[in-house]
Amino acid sequence: MITFSNILIDGLAYGMVLFVIAVGLSVTLGLMRFVNLSHGAFAMVGGYCVALLTRELQWSFWIAVPLAVLATGLLGALLEALVLRHLYQRKELDQVLFTIGLTFVLIASTNALVGPQVQMVQLPPSLSGSVDLGFRTLPAQRLLVIGVGLAVAVLAALTVTRTRFGIWLRAAVDHAGTASTLGIPIRRVQCLTFAAGAAMAGLGGVLGAEVMPLEPYYALKYLVLVLVVVAVGGMGSIAGSLCAAIVLGLIETASKYLASDWGSLFFFAAMALFLAWRPNGLLKR
Amino acid sequence: MSISRRVLCGTALAAAVLSTAPVHAQDPAIKVGVIGPFSGPFAHYGTLFKAGVEAYVASQGGKLAGKSVEFIYRDTGGPNPAQTRVLAQELIVKDKVDYLGGFVFTPNALAVAPLIQQSQTPTVIFNAATSSITEKSEYFIRSSYTLWQVTVPLAQWAAKQGIKKVVTAVTDYGPGLDGEAAFKSEFVKQGGTVVETIRMPIATTDFGPFAQRIRASGAQAVYTFLPGGPPNLGFVKAYNENGLAKAGIQFLGTSETDEFDLQKFGDSALGLTTAFHYSGAHDSPANKAFVVALKKQNPAAVANYASVGAWDGMHVIHKMIEATGGQKNGAKALAAARELQWESPRGPVRIDAKTRHITQNVYLRKVEKEGGVLVNKEVQSFGPQTDHGLNP
Amino acid sequence: MNALSLFKTRALASPQDGDGDAASPRCAPAWRAPLVMLALGLAACLLLPDQLGLLTRIFIMGLFVLSLDLVVGIAGLATLGHAAMFGVGAYAAGVFALRVMPDPLVGLAVGVLAGAVLAAATGAFLLRYQGFTFLMLTVAVAQMVLSLAHKARDWTGGDDGLSGYVMGPLLGQFQFDLEGRLAAFYALAVLVVCFYAARRLVDSPFGMAVRGIHENRARMAALGTPVYRRLWGMYAAAGALAGAAGALSAQTTAVVGLDSLSFSLSAEALVMLILGGAGRLSGALVGAAVFLVLHHTAASINPYHWLFVVGGLLMLVVLVSPAKAVAWLRNRRGGRA
Repeated sequence: MITFSNILIDGLAYGMVLFVIAVGLSVTLGLMRFVNLSHGAFAMVGGYCVALLTRELQWSFWIAVPLAVLATGLLGALLEALVLRHLYQRKELDQVLFTIGLTFVLIASTNALVGPQVQMVQLPPSLSGSVDLGFRTLPAQRLLVIGVGLAVAVLAALTVTRTRFGIWLRAAVDHAGTASTLGIPIRRVQCLTFAAGAAMAGLGGVLGAEVMPLEPYYALKYLVLVLVVVAVGGMGSIAGSLCAAIVLGLIETASKYLASDWGSLFFFAAMALFLAWRPNGLLKR
Repeated sequence: MSISRRVLCGTALAAAVLSTAPVHAQDPAIKVGVIGPFSGPFAHYGTLFKAGVEAYVASQGGKLAGKSVEFIYRDTGGPNPAQTRVLAQELIVKDKVDYLGGFVFTPNALAVAPLIQQSQTPTVIFNAATSSITEKSEYFIRSSYTLWQVTVPLAQWAAKQGIKKVVTAVTDYGPGLDGEAAFKSEFVKQGGTVVETIRMPIATTDFGPFAQRIRASGAQAVYTFLPGGPPNLGFVKAYNENGLAKAGIQFLGTSETDEFDLQKFGDSALGLTTAFHYSGAHDSPANKAFVVALKKQNPAAVANYASVGAWDGMHVIHKMIEATGGQKNGAKALAAARELQWESPRGPVRIDAKTRHITQNVYLRKVEKEGGVLVNKEVQSFGPQTDHGLNP
Repeated sequence: MNALSLFKTRALASPQDGDGDAASPRCAPAWRAPLVMLALGLAACLLLPDQLGLLTRIFIMGLFVLSLDLVVGIAGLATLGHAAMFGVGAYAAGVFALRVMPDPLVGLAVGVLAGAVLAAATGAFLLRYQGFTFLMLTVAVAQMVLSLAHKARDWTGGDDGLSGYVMGPLLGQFQFDLEGRLAAFYALAVLVVCFYAARRLVDSPFGMAVRGIHENRARMAALGTPVYRRLWGMYAAAGALAGAAGALSAQTTAVVGLDSLSFSLSAEALVMLILGGAGRLSGALVGAAVFLVLHHTAASINPYHWLFVVGGLLMLVVLVSPAKAVAWLRNRRGGRA
């Protein structure tokens, strides 16, 4: 019973981190049909910003995080407007390779600027302790992760369903041509969505810094995990990403508890089964 | 015809680049190849090796036994046996090195065993810690440690403290499994029980689940071994954050409080118990000289088991150069190495003539704060230990 | 939103790229390119005796990227899990040498068989999907093979790697020497033979059918081609060649590590293929050679800055495809004269 609740909590926390990083990629993929494999780099940039701001400039965690998220969003917007939008018409393989090349350059730049060692994110005292839930102690940081993950999911869902931007977004995803004839500023929607996705990835990088240590190869190492979540959840589906992330997070955590010497076998087996069962995403038919 | 042209161009380019490699003149410098990770998450090992070897040569006045030494560094990136073998082959055949040094990961060391045996190149292992490596070739000499060596006295100490139930949590690869086997066999011999053996995949970054498993196992202490760098950091953090110390599970570690990452733990590391062969805070003139020389060579370098492994490894190579008069003679160098004993920064050490492994003192340490900085304070010495893994 | 439509619209919408001539049948005889390859390889081995280790690695990776070209360039299936076949071939050959007999050619056959069997088995499942789904499934399958290899450490040595076996003499006579001379010639010979076989396969009616499926799957199906079976056959053939490359790697380096099954090996092979040009078979070898030589020289200067080089190169190659660059160069030369 204790093991079960452990798996539930740890799996939920891990899944939330995956969700926050992956949701941006999922929406971008669904909206612009653009395979952006440098998405992991945004998560890395966000995490690094917070690590450096709290450590070098001694800024408070609560100020550094929003700033880092904003900075990552801006970086995403810049990249999109200047470089990536020219690749929207190219073949997938071209997009894949270009963004992988971009990732390499970002990894090498990170190493050149900051060095190869792991960056620790200094949590404020309120988060560094543990919370005693009776049957186990949970690092307070994990609670934050779960909370923020849920908040992001709710916020994203509300934005897409209740706001005008959300309507524009859904219209642009369904049919960009018709949407633009109706006066929807497609370019602006694309750029803002990309920036939002990058910002969320940055947030995910900060939240996940405990379980996914920040070092220059971060951008590539966890890319596979993010792609798995996007593939299983279905491109463009926020609810799908959430489901996929939580389920896969639970399975990975369960295998760590129960069968750690099998490595990630069950994670990928589950992924293959889900994809084979629902190739277009968990919540789609 | 465009295919052949492309092929031609490509190969011409390749040949042009390759042929710009300098021609080797007949120069008398001794060549030492150092193989280790210089990029990736374990890059700090490479930096520390470099600092250690160059500091040693500087401390000897720039020359070893009157000969100048040239170091050739090669990057393995991480555990990558095939790549390491190619690098070693190149070092031996093309660069014609006299000695090899380095090796952080066991699979990399195992991969070069047939090469060094055939070419009779004495190879000093600065870090890899699996006992069986030195058995694969008689040209391996180890200046680092093995898990059996540091774990057996730890298990004996734990039993003496009255601990009866222990859970082992090691990284699932050579040295980790060695450590698990060593602890289990010695602890059971002393009358205790190992309630659970947890093996953590080498790619693990999130140790929370393992910390929870340790807590749920009902043990009084956890014995652990991890490869150094990010995994060690993650594990100790998980140990602290999940309240294992408060739950009364004592930490029995080896290299986890490595000086390289020690300061990052903050006060949560105070009191952690480890058994290891070297502490940066070892109180001896040899160690003080080592730390000074290291800092002079590279102010960012830390005095830890990697840099001292390189320092002592260079001492061995120095003595081998001395014994062979700078000539390349593997057998003679090996014979000389087998008889070595000296005062290292870690304490008195000697090379075991039969196993070619370093016999050294193993200390029990607790993390304490001295002068505002965290150190591994040696509270007890277990005396000289051999590699118990080779004569169980 | 359909993953299938994502890839379909692209394929139909871009007729202008240099990939056009990948579909046209070759007029050159099949033995010409392999013979050129043999001559160049021999010349390289004789002129650069210090670099035999690097050359052997180039030959082996060239063979692996060639097998990838069959899947990616000819059949049009983007895969990031091809290293599974390479690794399985390597481990099969290594375990065979360690436990059964150390003869190189028999071990090579074992490796080829292992690669082909894995490709056939996984292809049966994978080829039912297309596009992004197929890509992610190849990743999943490769990672599962990696996890299984890690678990079976009694056979594979796990993270410590499989080592301790010594290869017997080739053809009963030639010993594997320390300088790596025999290894280089052996790898080159296998590469040339496999290149010829691949060339014949791609120019055959079977190969034409596969190339047709790459161009337009629906049309080929309408013509009555058993699409799934043709792709399966090509995937298995590619697996056999990848297994051969893996076996060569195991035999020439006398060690097999888990890195031979890794995702990064698959990704690197894809990068090499694109650098050299997919669909042309010889492009695979050029790409492998260029990438490895660059890596060798750049990495010995600074391993991280190497990523700048390859990243920049990738972005450049995508923005300015080599075919266009060559055409532009030709125009300039023509213009001046």
